[in-house]
Amino acid sequence: MNYRLLLPTLALLCGVPFLSRAAEEAPTASQAIDLTTGEWDSVVNIDCSVLMPDYREPWNAGQPSGGSGTGFLIGKNRFLTNAHVVSNATKLVIRTTNDPQPHPARIVFVAHDCDLAIIEAEDGAPFEKLKPLTFGGIPKLNTELIAVGYPIGGDRISVTRGIVSRIDFRPFSHTQVDSHLAIQVDAAINPGNSGGPVLQNGKVVGVAFQGFNGRVAQNVGYIIPVPVIQRFLKDVSDGHYDHYVDIAITDFAVENSAQKKALQLGDDGIGVMIADVEPAGSVGKILKRGDVLLSMDGNPVLNNGLIRFEGELMDMNEVVERKFAGDKLKLLYQRDGKKQEVEVVLSRFDPYVKLGSQYNQRPRYLVYAGLVFQPMDRDLVDAHQIRDPATNYLFDNYLTDKLYVERPEPVLLTTVLTDEVNTHITMYAQSVVDEINGMKIKSLKDVKEALSKKDVKESFVVIKLLEKGRPLVLKRDLAEAAHPRIMQTYNISEDAYLGTE
Amino acid sequence: MKLFVSTLLFLASLSSLHAQGPLRPNPDRRLPPAQGQPPTGIRKPIGTIVRPQGMDAPQPIINTSSLLKVNVTFQAHNMQIPWQKEGASGRRGLGVVLPDNRVLVTAQMVSDATYIELELPESGQKMPAKVQAVDYEANLAVLAPNSATKEMAFFSGLKGMEVDTSARIGDALSVWQTGRVGELIVTPMRISKVMTQSYVVDNAAFLVYEATGIIRTEANSFTLPVVKGGKLAALLLRYDSKNQVATLVPAPIIDHFLKDVADGKYDGFPSLGVEFQITLDEQFREYLDIKVDQPGVYISTVMKGGSADKAGVKKGDILIAINGSTIDSRGDYQDQQFGAVSVSHIVRGRSFVGDDVEMKVVREGKEIVLKSQLTRKQPDDYLVRPYLFDKGPKYVLSGGMLFQELTRPYLNSFGGEQQGGPILRLQRIASTPDEFEKDGRKKIIFLSAILPTPSTQGYERMSGQVVEEVNGKKITQLADVAAALKEPKDGLHIVKLREFPFVLHLDALKVEKDNLQLMNGMFRVSGLSRLE
Repeated sequence: MNYRLLLPTLALLCGVPFLSRAAEEAPTASQAIDLTTGEWDSVVNIDCSVLMPDYREPWNAGQPSGGSGTGFLIGKNRFLTNAHVVSNATKLVIRTTNDPQPHPARIVFVAHDCDLAIIEAEDGAPFEKLKPLTFGGIPKLNTELIAVGYPIGGDRISVTRGIVSRIDFRPFSHTQVDSHLAIQVDAAINPGNSGGPVLQNGKVVGVAFQGFNGRVAQNVGYIIPVPVIQRFLKDVSDGHYDHYVDIAITDFAVENSAQKKALQLGDDGIGVMIADVEPAGSVGKILKRGDVLLSMDGNPVLNNGLIRFEGELMDMNEVVERKFAGDKLKLLYQRDGKKQEVEVVLSRFDPYVKLGSQYNQRPRYLVYAGLVFQPMDRDLVDAHQIRDPATNYLFDNYLTDKLYVERPEPVLLTTVLTDEVNTHITMYAQSVVDEINGMKIKSLKDVKEALSKKDVKESFVVIKLLEKGRPLVLKRDLAEAAHPRIMQTYNISEDAYLGTE
Repeated sequence: MKLFVSTLLFLASLSSLHAQGPLRPNPDRRLPPAQGQPPTGIRKPIGTIVRPQGMDAPQPIINTSSLLKVNVTFQAHNMQIPWQKEGASGRRGLGVVLPDNRVLVTAQMVSDATYIELELPESGQKMPAKVQAVDYEANLAVLAPNSATKEMAFFSGLKGMEVDTSARIGDALSVWQTGRVGELIVTPMRISKVMTQSYVVDNAAFLVYEATGIIRTEANSFTLPVVKGGKLAALLLRYDSKNQVATLVPAPIIDHFLKDVADGKYDGFPSLGVEFQITLDEQFREYLDIKVDQPGVYISTVMKGGSADKAGVKKGDILIAINGSTIDSRGDYQDQQFGAVSVSHIVRGRSFVGDDVEMKVVREGKEIVLKSQLTRKQPDDYLVRPYLFDKGPKYVLSGGMLFQELTRPYLNSFGGEQQGGPILRLQRIASTPDEFEKDGRKKIIFLSAILPTPSTQGYERMSGQVVEEVNGKKITQLADVAAALKEPKDGLHIVKLREFPFVLHLDALKVEKDNLQLMNGMFRVSGLSRLE
């Protein structure tokens, strides 16, 4: 992944986010900025202390670290910033460019899937006189804008200038799996700019959030545009964030004349083939592979999957992007030459969340007689640098081969904390757990339940792994005697954390 | 110039010998071509004997009448563009002269050979040769002269070497090499270990000797004979120069190979067709009801149609003896000559295809004796072929869709690094063939690439999808594709895939047009299919 996020950090760990400070109103081109007026105080520096979760020793609190980014006032004691600026935060402090005083702050809403968050000062009084920034629209290509924030290179507020280079659907690197509309700018966007406003004619047209490593591309910065911001603001207006919804289909452009003939499509350029449908998605029980999607909410879908939306050609997913959980979507599709119309209720599609990075979560685990069980997700796979081919296959094809249907939450035996009781099975670490005591393991909670079950041979705990030649067996009495000893030896205070639900 | 080239070759080939672990099928692909190197100065070849000054007597030169130089030109097939061959390149090695004017070399020496010649080390006289028998699993080949008229004269001064299978751990051996003019260079080695491991292909493990000692680099680095008392005790398989450990193909395997070749019909080395797990884990033993002092291993996989399957061995059996030899918890038996050696050697090294085999297993606490005759799993019997030499990969090219049979060499052509996406998925099929075999497939047929043509418009970026059906016909092997493509439906070819985008449609008329273009146009494809 070539993207980097734009937060700086204490660098106790690599890859911490950057934050900077600054805020202000939007001046027109080449207008000098006077910091003494205080109007730029609404662009603030956010200093964040974090604990990076430890997926290798999940019972530990994690590694303390920190970073700094930018935020800006959008309402009464409401500061908008990036989710990645405040992820895994243990302490937040806001500073303005003219006030030496640090102001403790806390998260109000965080949306990792679109990398946005709202924070508030614990004491909002000092910010009451500041004027919130207001939002513009989607800026036109080749128009000027400025990025304001607290990037690397100094402590005071910084302004950089550039133009709109491109408007496109882009992957958001914070979760590594979400893609939304993003605006590419050539204004310098550097570590610390994250969360800062990008302004045109005095109005916010985006939030600076990611760029390329300088070795990959130059003068390519990305900002989160107003439609994404406003969707987030609308989503949280009811007091909680509901996450994006997803139609969970994969389209395949119709370019081939034989394909067009087989799908019985005309020459009007309308209709894209539905190559795949996620069974657990919003339309899993409605659409089928090989259907042709003709329109969404009456908007024709072109052969290449694009749609004309607000005057621009955009990915058809943009229609879904603007909707909320529970919203309806009207689909016109064609199956075997027959047109059919259906209204579907959109919902969130969960399985792919595991494939991305997750934040503000305590790693879940269960230890039994030195065997450490953890649910498979990206953070875990990255932390353990898994080499087991069955595990890698499962992770890599979790969606593409619909493996989530059989195993909603695959569980791995990640580590064996060696003891006399388990010394012969240490080489089976990193395997996928298939069954315990005859019970199929579909989530970490199943492990707890299954361990207490009795297998055919009652005095043994029998663990079947995926694609391993033999079951692992532990004598129950030996395992239970060893368990407290292992917990003490390896300094583990709790033998499980299964989550909050 | 020639000398200089030889020096280069030997350095390059030696570097492949240094590689730890099994050598890749074509370790020498990067060798510089044998011809056309510009001379850059005179260099004395390593190994030249410099006569000390002030000595009157000429240096005696020892020659051997049992070694030949073997020069091979080879050309591998391109796995990803199957109608093409790679550039031709050369290998130089030694051959051991056998009785009846035959020459023993490693199989690696002659893989993908386009021209083989024998050369007398002293006179430089050459004659063409052909492969009489080759086994890539055992890494052995027998060459025969390819010119009846020259044969007598060429071999007249040579003497066949005998094979000595008696070497044991601790024995002193010597590695034989020849210098520039055929002088014998002898370096000592000592056998430190005997075990089983795979040679150059991964699907079968054989007995090896591990010997310690320094092997100097010479011009002919392939197939160095290792000798005990003037008889052939082994051939060099690989050499780890850092640890000065040589891995040798031992005489018992060479002897087995030659006996098999001798009857005119080569059967190969038999196998049991099982995978087993060690049973050192006391709790696992107790779970399996194995008594504390009882030997045996846990059978974890029984390959369909193999010797063990035919005898009735089942997954979960505890294998405790083969042909009367007791198997311990590690899967070793006590060999009279070598001590503890993996039980696979009883079958592969000490038996022949067609021999009776007797297996004693414990099933549900009871000992039972199972019998069958040993068979060999041929490379073509695998769902995913483990190796492929001398022949081109099978394919069907139609319209621009390139259908190929999945093989290990194809997967290996992407390099050793873990690949995501399609290659990882195909690799997994290769490592867990059971579910696909159950599906009735004989081979995995997949779309390896799509060449850009008018009929494949929009599909150009597809690659790595397993083919399920073509024009309504289930695909179990490549011939099915060729047959099904003859029957388009309503002027369309319908190709169903196991992965995204799951279906491709092509215009049958355009496909025919494109096929002509593929052969005669820019791609210059030499043939639209290779089914044999």
